[in-house]
Amino acid sequence: MISSLGQILVLLALLTCAVGVPVGYLAGARRSLEGLRLTRRLALLYAALMALATLVMEYALLTHDFSVSYVASVGSLATPTHITIVSLWSSLEGSILFWGLVLGGATAAVAYLQRRGHEDYLAYTLATLFAIGIFFTYLISGPANPFAPTALPIPTDGPGPNPLLQNHILMIIHPPMLYLGYVGMSVPFAMAVAALLRGRLGPTWLRPLRNWLLLPTGFLSMGIMLGGWWSYEVLGWGGYWAWDPVENASFLPWLTGIAALHSAIVQQRRGTLKAWTTILIMVSFLLTILGTFLTRSGVVNSVHSFTQSPIGPLFLGFLAVTLVAVVLLLTFRIDTLVSEPHEDAVVSREGAFLLNNLLLVVLMFTVLIGTLFPILAEAVRGVKVSVGEPYFNRMAVPICFGLLLLMGVGPALPWGRPDRGSLKRALLHPLPAAFIAALVTWLLGGRHPYLLLTGALGGYALWVTFSQASRPARARAGRGEKLPRALSSSFWRAPRLLGAYTVHFGVIVTFAAIAISSNFQTSQEATLASGSVMTIGDYRLTLSSVGQFEEPHLTAQRATIAIERKGRNLGVLEPALNFYRTQREPIGTPAVRTSATHDLYLTVMNVGADGRVGLRAIVTPAVLWIWIGVLMMVAGTALCLLQPRAAEATRVVAASAAGAAATENVA
Amino acid sequence: MNRKVLIIGSLVSLPLIAFLAVSFRFDPRAIDSPLVGRPAPEFVLADLEGNVVSSKSLAGKPVVLNFWATWCVPCMYEHPVFVQAARRYEGKVEFLGVIYQDEEQDIRRFLAQRGSWGPSLVDPDTRVAIAYGVYGVPETFFIDAEGVIVQKLAQAVTPGMLDRILGPLL
Repeated sequence: MISSLGQILVLLALLTCAVGVPVGYLAGARRSLEGLRLTRRLALLYAALMALATLVMEYALLTHDFSVSYVASVGSLATPTHITIVSLWSSLEGSILFWGLVLGGATAAVAYLQRRGHEDYLAYTLATLFAIGIFFTYLISGPANPFAPTALPIPTDGPGPNPLLQNHILMIIHPPMLYLGYVGMSVPFAMAVAALLRGRLGPTWLRPLRNWLLLPTGFLSMGIMLGGWWSYEVLGWGGYWAWDPVENASFLPWLTGIAALHSAIVQQRRGTLKAWTTILIMVSFLLTILGTFLTRSGVVNSVHSFTQSPIGPLFLGFLAVTLVAVVLLLTFRIDTLVSEPHEDAVVSREGAFLLNNLLLVVLMFTVLIGTLFPILAEAVRGVKVSVGEPYFNRMAVPICFGLLLLMGVGPALPWGRPDRGSLKRALLHPLPAAFIAALVTWLLGGRHPYLLLTGALGGYALWVTFSQASRPARARAGRGEKLPRALSSSFWRAPRLLGAYTVHFGVIVTFAAIAISSNFQTSQEATLASGSVMTIGDYRLTLSSVGQFEEPHLTAQRATIAIERKGRNLGVLEPALNFYRTQREPIGTPAVRTSATHDLYLTVMNVGADGRVGLRAIVTPAVLWIWIGVLMMVAGTALCLLQPRAAEATRVVAASAAGAAATENVA
Repeated sequence: MNRKVLIIGSLVSLPLIAFLAVSFRFDPRAIDSPLVGRPAPEFVLADLEGNVVSSKSLAGKPVVLNFWATWCVPCMYEHPVFVQAARRYEGKVEFLGVIYQDEEQDIRRFLAQRGSWGPSLVDPDTRVAIAYGVYGVPETFFIDAEGVIVQKLAQAVTPGMLDRILGPLL
């Protein structure tokens, strides 16, 4: 009953998409307002159908209707209700349904938000989103059908969702953030397709396009960070990033998305780089599909591939069709996006933006090649290889330093064709900040060249970031406005400026935190009997007791460890070793004590028959600041989405204020 | 029409697609076992009802030998796959389950709830599992009609994997 209801809703959604594609493209080609109205209605219908289908699935999950195959595969009477609700995205079929829901929501949101002033592009955009929708609703209705009836006999209970996903709040929000990022990339892609088909990408379309690109990029930042944080808090290896193929898959579109956001700024200001921005947006979307393919097909070995599935070939087919369509579309239409002629110097803001794009794309290719190399090696030479951290770190770290350098130099540079004098002033001014930051790094014990470089480049970028972000407010204050008022009015007139520099600030914080945490980590291992002590840094760790606990899906051996620092009692930490029924090897659940300066991280390696505990203690400085830095990036991204107050008139003012500020470069 | 875009686009995308398509032939989780390519270790085991199955009596037909347990969640996931496959390949392939370190009443309850797909053989002292080098469940061995092990999987089996491996054996 529930099965058929869900399937009917999904089939209707598929039908809506299938109708929406020709209707939308025809309405676009004929510039028919009537057709556009119909297309927009179809978009709302599609979203409503997907929402209903998702509600039906949630109902089935909550009522433990094991006649629905998805419920039979992830449901369990013993699972707590909040986990049951989110088990919608705990396994393949449900997550594809969720994907469809988000795509439906995005399609409807575009139809609603872009309804005025964008009639030229809207029909093509919606038609393209419907085309993507056809693929996903097809997946939901057939190959990855969560509503399929369970094969008889219907079980009376199910296994419940993957237990690893049940034990941390971060795992509840990490997947939807990534899906919002992945699915969200469809929207700028569809908008870029519309621009190509229309043969025009002017400022009226670029503005919403940038916003729709900011959204998925922000969600990806959040999703990637949550994934790293989760693996740090739960998996017990003491790290947060391992260059695993699935991590890389989410990293790739993030990189090109950021590149596109930056080239869009140049385009908005100078009218150049139209074709390049379009290509970057399309590549970002293609990379999300490639990433999903890599995650879901099982062709690469990854810690994440617990859901191997038969939809790999279909995803490859979708990727192939999209790739061919994109190449053909670009071949025939790219020349319609003519850039306005500009003669800009190499050493200028534009030049820095170009170099930034180049570095981001090179970084993307570096990571992509490292990710695909194992498949390549097996295909060509028949050997199994794995590409590990050394490759990625050696290749990626220098590029990241280049990006950090540009984050300082770029915003300091004037637009256009600056003369030597203003260049010199712009670039030399922040140098003392770089020097001081490097000196502080040295004094704090940072001797590694990479750390000193992080200090110098970070200090430079920090100075430029703050002086650029505060420039409008300082200019106002200089004209006699009161400081609070100057701050608030300059913020509301150009929230994007502040948003962009908040993102930059977050990047600098994250960069420094990663550099510090990966260079100053200390770890200690010891086998402790009850009552015995180990020390790490200032900490004295005493094993008080060890016990065994049975939970429905695991057996845990938990050690209770008393923590003391410089004679002060800091309570206990309880790391555990979990023997999940699903996993073939025990997984350590670490216990972490976080502070502003450093984390104390304890994991149990083994518990002997005599009750002795093999304990690993890690002290890592600055970890907290990685998460805080990324949250700043996300907050900055959100600020960028704010509309400047009194839009058109003040836009010019803000732009000229920023422009003037950039060229004057006074302190 | 922009030839440069067409040429570069094709040079990047076509090999990428071809190469990803080829990659389906490989399974990064197909674990090499020293037993692959060798004759399968022989066994004589009884199921829960006492019916005896011997490996010799199976010669002439491909065999899927699955080590499983009721306490193993991946085994629950693959259980319906075997239920359906055993029907689909009925008469062409023998499906055998060997129970790995489990209790009889748990197995009976599990099979009553979820259906069975072939004899569930009891392996006293896990001797057969040791002979096959099983180090966890689920593990599945594919044995051809000549009694040679052709592949070992150490993960929950999906319908696609079964068809891909069994196809050439028929």
